[in-house]
Amino acid sequence: MIIKKLFIFFSFIVLSTSAFNQVVYEFEDSLQEKRFYSLISEIRCPKCTSGSIASSDAPVSRDLKNKVYELVRDGSTDKEIKTYVSKRFGDFSDYRPSLEGSNYLLWFGPFIFLGLMLIIFFIKRRV
Amino acid sequence: MNQLLRFLIVLLPIVVLIFFGKILLVDEDIKFSNFNSKIFPEFQLNDLDGNPVQSGSLNGVKILNVWASWCITCLVEHPFLTRLSEQNIQIIGLNYKDSDLKANAWLKKHGNPYLFSIYDPRGDLAFDLGVTGAPESYLIVNNQVVGHIQGEMNQRKWETIFLPLIQKAKQGS
Repeated sequence: MIIKKLFIFFSFIVLSTSAFNQVVYEFEDSLQEKRFYSLISEIRCPKCTSGSIASSDAPVSRDLKNKVYELVRDGSTDKEIKTYVSKRFGDFSDYRPSLEGSNYLLWFGPFIFLGLMLIIFFIKRRV
Repeated sequence: MNQLLRFLIVLLPIVVLIFFGKILLVDEDIKFSNFNSKIFPEFQLNDLDGNPVQSGSLNGVKILNVWASWCITCLVEHPFLTRLSEQNIQIIGLNYKDSDLKANAWLKKHGNPYLFSIYDPRGDLAFDLGVTGAPESYLIVNNQVVGHIQGEMNQRKWETIFLPLIQKAKQGS
């Protein structure tokens, strides 16, 4: 009886397809691999409210990861890959906004805010 | 000095409130009405009947609707698309990650509002267009993609996003 149960239990494990669902990416060297993983964590999943394609299993994220993999293997630079993606999915897709235009406020806004708070703080102390 | 400080203390929460309130209340649709137009990506695909799609077929004002037989929301927007096609709006289908057999059966069962459907089983053209899933619709004017709607197409989205763009395109030509 117990043998039968064990058999069923292990056949579920062996036959579970989810174990084989993960795509394994193979790289020529560790640098490529590093670049790939940092890129997919910096590209936003277009289907999600918030999250990178690395953390998402949405079909479009899977397509994007495969494409980034292909481009990394083909020797495209990080910038080329990001342009490739943002051309299709918009500037919204880049999790690390470029340093230009209104993005300055995004990058330095918190520091400006902190500076203002400090100024107020010191004014208050003197009073 | 003290007065300035008091003024700042009152002003700061108001500014913060307006800032976040604006983010919260802003209409999702606005994101798509600021769509950056781009040239329709090049492709070589067949339609669902197996005939190669001619590149000239995207001239004039066309709606490109991304659909699939496995897509449930596509069924929801289908009556609205049918109504649009009855008003002589030209709609082209982009059959997305589907099998042609299932797709053709789906059209036979629910009716076909499309002039033709581009068959894109691997989603290559869809990827170049920036499709994130089905359904999605694009407004194409003379081979330029000028508008984009994600999710179900309905009367409200049609009137607020696509109609103004179509009117603008007609005035321009």
